[in-house]
Amino acid sequence: MEILAIENLTFTYPEQEVPTLRDLSLSVPEGAFVTLAGKTGSGKSTLMRLLKQELAPKGTRSGSIRINGEEVGTLSPKESAALVGYVMQDPERQIVTDRVWHELAFGLENLGYAPQVIAARVAETASYFGIEEWYEQPTASLSGGQKQLLNLAAVMAMRPRILLLDEPTAQLDPVAASSFLSAVKRLHRDLSITIIMAEHRLEEVLPDSNRVWLLEEGRLLFDGTPKKALNRIQNDATWMCGMPAAARAFFALSGEGDCPLDIKEGRRFLQAQFPSPVADLPQSTATSNAQEVLRLDKVRFRYDRSGPDVLDEPELVVREGEIVTLLGGNGSGKTTALLAAAGLLRPYAGTVTVFGKPLKAYRGQALYDGCLAMLPQNVQTLFLKDTVREELADAAASETAIPFDFTPLLERHPYDLSGGEQQMLAFAKVLAASPRLLLLDEPTKGLDAGMKQRFAAMLQTLRDSGKTILLVTHDVEFAAEVADRVLFLFRGRVVSEGTPHEFFPDQQFYTTAVSRMSRGILPGAVTLDDVQRLFREATT
Amino acid sequence: MRRLEMQHPLTIVTILAAIGGISAVCMDPVLLSVSLIGGVLFYAVRHQGGRVAVYLTSAALFAVLALLNPLFSHNGKTVLFVVNNAPVTLEALLYGMVAACMIVAVLYWFRSLSELMTSDKWIALLSVISSKLALVLSLSLRYIPLFGQQIKRVRQAQKAVGLYKDENIMDRLRGGLRIMSTMITWVLENGIITADSMEARGYGSGRRTTYTVVRFRRSDALLLLLTALLTAATLAGLYGAGTVYYPSFSFAAWTPWRAAGYAAFCLLALLPTILEWTEAIKWRYWRSKI
Repeated sequence: MEILAIENLTFTYPEQEVPTLRDLSLSVPEGAFVTLAGKTGSGKSTLMRLLKQELAPKGTRSGSIRINGEEVGTLSPKESAALVGYVMQDPERQIVTDRVWHELAFGLENLGYAPQVIAARVAETASYFGIEEWYEQPTASLSGGQKQLLNLAAVMAMRPRILLLDEPTAQLDPVAASSFLSAVKRLHRDLSITIIMAEHRLEEVLPDSNRVWLLEEGRLLFDGTPKKALNRIQNDATWMCGMPAAARAFFALSGEGDCPLDIKEGRRFLQAQFPSPVADLPQSTATSNAQEVLRLDKVRFRYDRSGPDVLDEPELVVREGEIVTLLGGNGSGKTTALLAAAGLLRPYAGTVTVFGKPLKAYRGQALYDGCLAMLPQNVQTLFLKDTVREELADAAASETAIPFDFTPLLERHPYDLSGGEQQMLAFAKVLAASPRLLLLDEPTKGLDAGMKQRFAAMLQTLRDSGKTILLVTHDVEFAAEVADRVLFLFRGRVVSEGTPHEFFPDQQFYTTAVSRMSRGILPGAVTLDDVQRLFREATT
Repeated sequence: MRRLEMQHPLTIVTILAAIGGISAVCMDPVLLSVSLIGGVLFYAVRHQGGRVAVYLTSAALFAVLALLNPLFSHNGKTVLFVVNNAPVTLEALLYGMVAACMIVAVLYWFRSLSELMTSDKWIALLSVISSKLALVLSLSLRYIPLFGQQIKRVRQAQKAVGLYKDENIMDRLRGGLRIMSTMITWVLENGIITADSMEARGYGSGRRTTYTVVRFRRSDALLLLLTALLTAATLAGLYGAGTVYYPSFSFAAWTPWRAAGYAAFCLLALLPTILEWTEAIKWRYWRSKI
């Protein structure tokens, strides 16, 4: 049965001439798992919001949207609230109340259920999602991943028939994102609930979706199964860069037949392509004798007197003109190491040396005056003005400081930009301080695949012009692409390090999709380029 | 019976307020001593003996308060000694000690009250009166820690790009103003998303119900009744002639009523500790059987 039917939907925001959505016609059978893909600004969010009566943006709409046979906009408030569940991007601000249990009960209270009914539903939901342990905790004490899971659970407690997820993992680290996505997949498997999800992390979502919508500048480019979608866009690099590694490898090696989507299928494909053993990739070892830019020497730090050491003498040295990436799980001390390097917190033992001078020797603002600058994890903390133009002027940043086009955004409020655009604006502000050492905390958060590639190129250009970059990331693929050296942090110590080609092939879990897929078939392959190179060598 | 902490918020507030309230209005040495003993015991039992620093602070406070009165009040017949031509009297010293006893006892009870009544319990209590008010409180309570965190993050972020200086007072003031203005935007912006999220989950779609995790059990009813009876007995027993401090100290006349009043208050002031103890004993008993 059809649960959602969209016919000739066109939508234009007030005071805009060009429609944001043009002539969309779609239908969704009950129990489908639809992935909505598209670049930032393609109209994904607008489409998602139009499907939820309460969140529909103001503007002129033509065409019809019917949910369960009824036109959106004519549903009664109670009906609509219960029928369609919506999870937004920001884990923090969707939360309404101060306690976990109250958050779960909130929707049901609004619908006027009797307390006994609420008690039963809340209990059932909490145990399904495994949140009994933090049931009575204040919501402010949860991690980002827990918050987003709570948002999902709170919506599911209302028993919706359609679940709309608008980039729910954009602000989560990869580990939390994976566990959120597995909760979504489990929901779909267990309840056969209809799910429509806008998502950048296609590597993990596409294998489980039975339908993909590709949206480009408000138009529907494609509607069908993931494999057919990939066939359709195989020659379009801007689309392909965000697709699963298995599929990219398949088309890069001009594979024939059914396109692989996940690691398992990808391995099978590679095994068929490389029947005989392949020579190792030539190794390049980093032996730089360049001047030391940053050194953490026997540094120890803890947040609480009685707590554990968050930094336990990590041996961290960064040399001039290299891009160093710090990897590690949550709580491994990555961000803390960065804050210590930036002089924003004071270790209780050891010294931090920047450009040959201990931090204590920098008087006043000398450290931040052309010496180092940091991009914080939460970039909104950098924005103090009402428009992008003022924001750039405030930091004396030029619009052309980075190869990103701010022109259409100049009059917008910084908070209204998409995650990726905010990241770029913040990066421009950081560069305006003309630092020689850049410290970046999760710089790829919210960037779509295309932007990520451009950002990697940007960092490499900066490095080639003599800047030094230390970045903290959860994004393994990005680290493999951009880093000269990778350090892995665990419980406040550096436990392994090396160039990407030394480091990643040695890892089992914390490595790129290509590396996991080609393990034992193509020794040492980390990126798609490696696979292509080995393929050329093997076939000639 | 369960520990006081596990009872309904109404029970917690009623018992502790009754003890604290009686202590605050009766200048009776016997009653206040009982109240102080009860308050300290309850604190000690809940904290496995309690912290030495807390006891030392309250002892110091007691001493200061007790000695302050005879320095300023020179009423009373029995002169102990003379300082700077001003007599220090036994009566004034006694009065000071009883007053100090009252203040320290009430502080102990309030400490327990604020430790037992966490924010969510106040909200649960408030939701009995008005569910809207309780929701507003719940919403705002969430923001207080977030607000503090965000200010700190903004300051760090601005500092690390060289836009926040804190070398002198003017710099700090200017920086502070910049941060405050952005915090207002941040709160408003947060508000929009939260409002969207509330509406998406049916807020304002009709009559709301209220769900709480706290339950009002039979033991709560029993404890409330007991508290009411003991409070009434105490007040009735102590009503009328009280302890006289000036010009010379004398206890009120010893009547059966008065004795019953003291007994009632003893039970009331020890009730929280007794609840704590019975649970501990019960637990030990059960554990020995497992």
